[in-house]
Amino acid sequence: MSDATSTVSESRAGVLLDPHDLARLATMSLRARVIVEGAFAGMHHNPHTGTSIEFAEHKEYAPGDDLRHMDWKAVARVERYYIKRFEDETEMRTFLLVDASASMGYRGSNEKSVSKLAYASYLAAALGYLLAQQGDPAGLLAFDERTRQYLPPRTRGGHLHELLVALDGLYAAGRTQPGRALAHVGELADRRSVIVLFTDLLDAPDAGGDELANRLRQLRARGHDVTLFHLLDPDEVELPLDDLEDLTEFEGVEPDDGRRLLVDPRDLAASFARESLALRERWRKRCLEARVEYRFATTSTPPSEVLRAFLFNRERERGRRS
Amino acid sequence: MHFLAPSLLLGLAAAVAPWFIHRIGKRRARPRAFAAMELLLRAEREVSARRRLRELLLLALRTLVAAALPLIFARPFTEVRSDLPATAGRTQSAVVVLDDSASLRRLEHAGGDPVFTKARGRARSLVEHLAPDSDVALVLASEGTAAPVAEPASDHARVLAALDGVTCSARRADFAAALRRASQILTAGAHGERVVYVVTDLQATGWDGVTSEGDTGGPAIVLLDVGSPWENRAVVGLEAEPAPEQGAEGVAVVAEVANFSDAPATKLGLTLRLDGADVARGFVDVPAHGRAKKRFLHTLAGGGGAHDAEVEIDHDLFTLDDRRRARVEVSRGLRVLIVDGDPRTVRTEDEAFFLEAALRAGGGGFSITSALPDEVAPASLTDYGAVFLANVARPSPELAQALVRYVENGGGVFISVGDRVDADAWNSRLAAILPQPLGLKRTASASGDPTAPPAEGETVDTRPAERLAPLDRRHPLLASFPAKSDGLASARFSEFMLLAPVPDAPGRSVVLRFESGAPALVASEVGRGRVLLLTTTVDREWTDLPIRPGFLPLVQESARYLAGAPGSESVASLTVGQRREIGLGGDDRRVEVVGPNGQSTWLTPEPRPSEGRSPEAHARRAVAFDRTDEPGLYRVRASRADGTVEERPEERFVVDLDPGESDPAPLPADRRPDHARAAAGGDAAPKSRLELWHALGAVVLVAVLLESLLTLRLRRGRVKA
Repeated sequence: MSDATSTVSESRAGVLLDPHDLARLATMSLRARVIVEGAFAGMHHNPHTGTSIEFAEHKEYAPGDDLRHMDWKAVARVERYYIKRFEDETEMRTFLLVDASASMGYRGSNEKSVSKLAYASYLAAALGYLLAQQGDPAGLLAFDERTRQYLPPRTRGGHLHELLVALDGLYAAGRTQPGRALAHVGELADRRSVIVLFTDLLDAPDAGGDELANRLRQLRARGHDVTLFHLLDPDEVELPLDDLEDLTEFEGVEPDDGRRLLVDPRDLAASFARESLALRERWRKRCLEARVEYRFATTSTPPSEVLRAFLFNRERERGRRS
Repeated sequence: MHFLAPSLLLGLAAAVAPWFIHRIGKRRARPRAFAAMELLLRAEREVSARRRLRELLLLALRTLVAAALPLIFARPFTEVRSDLPATAGRTQSAVVVLDDSASLRRLEHAGGDPVFTKARGRARSLVEHLAPDSDVALVLASEGTAAPVAEPASDHARVLAALDGVTCSARRADFAAALRRASQILTAGAHGERVVYVVTDLQATGWDGVTSEGDTGGPAIVLLDVGSPWENRAVVGLEAEPAPEQGAEGVAVVAEVANFSDAPATKLGLTLRLDGADVARGFVDVPAHGRAKKRFLHTLAGGGGAHDAEVEIDHDLFTLDDRRRARVEVSRGLRVLIVDGDPRTVRTEDEAFFLEAALRAGGGGFSITSALPDEVAPASLTDYGAVFLANVARPSPELAQALVRYVENGGGVFISVGDRVDADAWNSRLAAILPQPLGLKRTASASGDPTAPPAEGETVDTRPAERLAPLDRRHPLLASFPAKSDGLASARFSEFMLLAPVPDAPGRSVVLRFESGAPALVASEVGRGRVLLLTTTVDREWTDLPIRPGFLPLVQESARYLAGAPGSESVASLTVGQRREIGLGGDDRRVEVVGPNGQSTWLTPEPRPSEGRSPEAHARRAVAFDRTDEPGLYRVRASRADGTVEERPEERFVVDLDPGESDPAPLPADRRPDHARAAAGGDAAPKSRLELWHALGAVVLVAVLLESLLTLRLRRGRVKA
């Protein structure tokens, strides 16, 4: 506990804890707080004194919208019709979608690494914690091929605790269907919401990838604010040749995955790195087309840094809109 | 394929070792759970083809090395039938007769080596495979060539070195002489078995006079054939003659082309060269196995004298006979001055009548001027190549001095005597050039059988008369006369002038003598010139020689001899290997002959005898040149006593190939010296063992090198990755 206390102190002083150190903290609540404080330490904001994530935005005009809310200045500036949405009008509900499939349980060869699922839980917990601080409702949807666990967004007391406990209890298993999870959220979110998806996108083959991209586009068209956190282990960016034998038999982690490959990893290193980069670029492009925020992170990156970049970007976007 | 140690082939099982190691490596591979299998499989698909190819190649190379090593240790070999005769391996005394005749200079195929290279290689192989204690000699088959190793030698290295030094000649083959020489050498052989190996292309030419080995009881003869059927076209004849229809300097060059092939040669190109320059081009159709002639007409621009003509046809594999050369003699227009010392109003009684008629006859090419002694301008003598003084009484002092200078500077003077000649005046004024001082006139006494019937055509003359002694044809003046010529022998001399005896002197010789021994015609060399003294008249006053058949050639040859022109019978074309006699001038000390390949040969004549007046001693000075080994033009230069070197264009000569070497007809089986043994089946060719492990070792080395390169490349690729 003393270690954790000192770590918290360092975090407040501006030191970002890496995922391995975060895992050593006792509770998810503490981890969430440390992450948030670490993120805000770099932004020179105090998360406890009114700074918030505000999800105000403009919406492109659609038939049926109230013309009274037309932003004429924006029309003059960009020659497109936008409807103003006022922050005080938006009761921003946030859905945190965590991919808990088997591939998310992969943990790299580095002993300091954490699994992608743990990393996603840390980020989701930090966001939940931050939203709770602002009084915004946050819900959780953990999924694999189906929805495994769902906590609707609420603001009542104890909800944050339930959310953090749920995140702490997640385990990696099964195949994944992020498109189906997004469809489920689309049904649940009856008004404008913030949807944050944490996944590694590894088991979304091209067809599935297209389905997922369509779902993202649909949600965005319905006015939801969607962010995709693409999480990969460093081993999935570049093969860890130092930890691999000359001849290695790779096998899949998904249940009933019969795929095996006996190969000298050095033969594939360059090609694998190209394929991994191509995957990221493909999803970056899809998200850009769907006007979904795409954020990529490896599990070796301090979550506070990822959160800070995310918040900073949102603040900048808000400043630009206003 | 056979093996010296076949049991070691069990090691071939090692060939599976690389595959086995590969399988073991697979089993020992550590499994690794990996989430990004999709990315991994995509990456694998990208590199799999290249990687599998490389792995297969590596596996193949390693398997090859593993399999080749036991193969090498098993010492594999194969047996090949040797192209050498069965007798080669036995201890024997042998003579290798290597055919180095001209036909072996042909190429085996376009751009290939000459057949001689193959023949020499075969001879080398034979010598190398002879039993070590055999002795062997080396004889060449070309005509007139010395044997490089003329006695049986057990030192085979020496014979091989001699073989390496042999080059192919341009001479014709003479197997009869070569086999005689070989048999002679083998009489000194140390071993009972005696064999003559003839390495040849079996061209029929050159086998004349060779008998079957069984007929002579000599050594066994084994033929090693290095030839193959070939076709040939050749210039086999070239003649050059004056062409009056083309003017005074017109020549006609006639080339004869032979086609030694089954197909007719159409539009075969010929080029005529004169003095090295292309002057005409023509075409000729030659039937299969036939001949055709092509006549070129040309007018020479360089004036009279000798010219070099060459005709060349389009090349085939045997280029040596695709050209032929000849010397073209064009009239020089030799100017002759006749000084008539006894002119008559009746032309036939004139002193110079017969002389002039003889020079004008037969197209000898002489330009004749007649003058009386008083009309001769001393300074004009140099305009003439020869001066004839016919019965001139007494030359004026000025004319005498001019004649002496004329002769000393290279002119030629013919002196004939008669009633008007004042011997004392001649002896006092022209002693410097007279071969012998003039003496008294002598009237012939009756001799021989006066009742003997006259020879055919002989004019009956009842006066007592002398006849000429038998001719000595060693003097160039008489070289064209037959040994028993009636042309001069039938001449009768009723009167002649005796000559005062003098000591023998170099450069002076008696060309003709009377039967009594008195000189009839005396020649001498004075300075750079020549003088001929006839001790009788050139009209019919003292002799009937002017009406004898020999008078005309005697006068014309005398004019040419005095002017230094080549004789009408001069032979300027030789066949390769023939000897050439080269005449020397009075002051010539040495002669240089430059061959077509630029090779220079200096020849020095034998020294003159210090005494003796025999015709041999004063015969024409000449040197013999027998190194006519290459076809082409041979130039002659003379080094004179005063140190100067002069070109002798009149002595140039050309050497051509023996036409027999152009004929590719093979030697018929019944003319082969070994035909009896060949008909009986001959000796089976021996087998020789060809070791294969060297080649296998080379394969292993290459495989190891490739494997290393592949592995290195693989590692570099990984480092870059």
